[in-house]
Amino acid sequence: MEPRAEAIRYPLFALLLWGGGAVLAVCLAAAVFRALKARRERLRQFQDDAAPRDWSEPAIDASAHLDSPFHRWDPRVKIVSLLFFIFCVASLARLSTGAAAIGLGLAAARTARIPWSRSFRRLGAMAGFLLMLLIVTPLTAPIHPGDPVVVFEHLEFLPINLRGFFPAGLVCVKAIAIALLMEPLVGTSPLANTMEALAQIGAPRKVGEMILLAHRYVFVFRHEAQRMATSMEVRGFRKRTDMETLRATGNFIGMLLVRSFDRTQRVYEAMLSRGYGETTRSHVAFTARKIDWVKGAFWIAAGVALLVVDHFRGA
Amino acid sequence: MHETAVPRHPESQQFTLLEARGLSYRYPNGQAALSGVDLTIYEGDRIALIGHNGAGKTTLVKHLNGLYAAQSGELLFHGEPLQDENLKRVRLDIGVLFQDPDDQLFCNTLYEDIAFGPLNQGFTPEEADALVHESARKVGMEELLFKAPHNLSYGQKKRAALATVLSMHPDALILDEPTANLDPRQEEVFTELIREFPGTLIVISHDLTFLYGICDRAVVMEKGGVHHDYTMKELASQRKYLREHGLESSFRFTCCGGHHHEAPTHAHPHSHGRSSSMGAAGGQSDDRPIARQKSGDSDAPLIHLLDYSYRHPDGAWGVRDIHLHVNEGESIAVAGENGAGKSTLARCILGITEGRGSYAFDGKLVTKKNRKALWRQVGMVFQNPADQLFCPSCWEEVAFGPRQMGLPKNEVEARVEEALQAVRLTGYERRAPHHLSSGERKRLAIAAALSIRSRVLILDEPTANLDAGSEDLLFEIISHLPVTKILISHDMALMMALCERAIVLHQGRIIRDYACAELERDVHLTSINGIDYTLKNACRDAMLSLQEGAA
Repeated sequence: MEPRAEAIRYPLFALLLWGGGAVLAVCLAAAVFRALKARRERLRQFQDDAAPRDWSEPAIDASAHLDSPFHRWDPRVKIVSLLFFIFCVASLARLSTGAAAIGLGLAAARTARIPWSRSFRRLGAMAGFLLMLLIVTPLTAPIHPGDPVVVFEHLEFLPINLRGFFPAGLVCVKAIAIALLMEPLVGTSPLANTMEALAQIGAPRKVGEMILLAHRYVFVFRHEAQRMATSMEVRGFRKRTDMETLRATGNFIGMLLVRSFDRTQRVYEAMLSRGYGETTRSHVAFTARKIDWVKGAFWIAAGVALLVVDHFRGA
Repeated sequence: MHETAVPRHPESQQFTLLEARGLSYRYPNGQAALSGVDLTIYEGDRIALIGHNGAGKTTLVKHLNGLYAAQSGELLFHGEPLQDENLKRVRLDIGVLFQDPDDQLFCNTLYEDIAFGPLNQGFTPEEADALVHESARKVGMEELLFKAPHNLSYGQKKRAALATVLSMHPDALILDEPTANLDPRQEEVFTELIREFPGTLIVISHDLTFLYGICDRAVVMEKGGVHHDYTMKELASQRKYLREHGLESSFRFTCCGGHHHEAPTHAHPHSHGRSSSMGAAGGQSDDRPIARQKSGDSDAPLIHLLDYSYRHPDGAWGVRDIHLHVNEGESIAVAGENGAGKSTLARCILGITEGRGSYAFDGKLVTKKNRKALWRQVGMVFQNPADQLFCPSCWEEVAFGPRQMGLPKNEVEARVEEALQAVRLTGYERRAPHHLSSGERKRLAIAAALSIRSRVLILDEPTANLDAGSEDLLFEIISHLPVTKILISHDMALMMALCERAIVLHQGRIIRDYACAELERDVHLTSINGIDYTLKNACRDAMLSLQEGAA
């Protein structure tokens, strides 16, 4: 006879208390963050002797000029071995090995000398999705006999299966470990070198060219959008919840697309006029040294080790 | 009756580089772009390709570079038709500098962009590397080789774009509006670079004074065909030629923009016999309408900035210690090098950005609360009208502001009609702004600002990239607008013709605030911020002298 699911019952106000507390904490943190940012901005406006900073906008490969073992690594070997490691991490089934992968990811990010802020911004971009996963999975995980289930009074139709936290947590841990490796993978070589390396290991060259063009023109697109938004503001546009706002936003997006289409044509003509054709040559040449292979072997071995530990401890 | 000028037949140049015979082209929508173009370009020619917007200049150069195939007629490169291998060769041997440098710089670093052409020409990476450094050195950008194009200033982008073409060592260079939107200093640097180019040169520009300085042959296009083929001096010396082809802006070739009474010490070498040719706009400073009367505190200036500063989020100064007062009805020119803070000053006046210091509008202090309502008082026409026009029809575009004001429907309709009439776009209500010509778009952008009935209008380079006809019409419209005008421009002739007062910005600070006529005479500006109008003025004076000699 299979054991029945264990239902732990709580009164409804406990949910309101916990849920309200969580929302309040998030709002408070956001308010403090915004206040600190505004204060820093105000202070900066009044600081006469502050040295002007570099106004460059950060690109994917903004840290490519630094020097580290990752920067000196042949991009082809780096891509293959780190991608293998990433696949190994994605195959893990235990939180403990996932945590070990996070440790390796942190060590890699530190070794690559990439500012932590970049890695954290990358993690921040994923945070919303991961949070949603953590909320939704316990509510949707099928309840098996023996599963710990939390039920709130008057919300019996919405049981929370605590077992659901495990797969959600595992996905989060693996996502964090992989995201931490992204900066050492794509941020330690100029983007053109990374794309050339991808092409040399068999990825379609056209895809690489499209990524390079997208990366180049995302900044132009952003500037165009900013200038258009300013011109709308100058003519009194304020975002409201009405049809006028919806219409203006639709026009704004439509015009951006039309302008992008026109620019695509012009850029293609500029490429043709400088001899772009069937064969594309690159100014980048790679040479894999012994040390590059050693680094590659290390990451492949680390991936295999994680898989082995994960498999045997799980058994 | 249109007088036909004598076509130019150079005798000194023997070798034909490109030849078009009866070249015609229609766009996919059926519109004729070129019709029966006959043109021979010789090696070493320095050609100014002139004509109205839409005359077919850009379409022709796209044929010359092999981007478009001839639909009818013939195009020969070194005597052979542009087909197969010869087509590939022409693309590599004829360099094109496109108008927008962001189109030309499509790689992620300047190095990759400059190396792109030589690598496609078949050079090895080592050879390409040498060419990259050589070209970057020529345009003075060797230290910026690994910078991303989006982090370069506009002037740097223009020079970088030129380097991408120069690295291919082309036989001929085709330049489409090469100096548009550059400040005089950048323009001079760019002009020098072009002058040093040893090969054939074909330049499209509406700026006759610039063309006069670098070209010796002028090909005038009209309605898709080559209308005339002159020497540059022939064209420049005959005012009737310029008028025939609508190449002369009425305000551009009048000394001091007509402000002689304000420039008593200015030398007028060409003044004798000029009075008859002044044209209507020459005296426009006198018949300009008086702006509407002040509505607020009668003693207070309309705009008053006191000790006002703004820093960009990255920490760089936008404007510093600004002391500025603008009275109602004044027309003020704002000059300064690219990056001097002109646009930031405009943003501060518009209330888009908030700095520190005191800002009063019509005697009332602008606070955080009322700053957001400034748009009802201050309007702006942006440099690129495409940034400003996003609605599907001209009517909606002009109605956008009044609608945001929450005006009743009949009032919105009345304002739209009035604004479109003021800029002479009545009948354009249903047309898509995207399909209008540059001049029409500029006028539509002005109508969009006028419909709000702002008291101040900021105009950012209103005549950039316009042909003389559009320039004249726009000038006439702007000069008769009954509002306070702040003109941001590098165009000395326009500033002189439109404004009485000029302020000069340098590194975010106002370094000059004087009568506009003094700006032209201010020789010290060159040493302060590199702004130098002397080259342009010299070309203009030379052209005026030629015209007087011919008269």
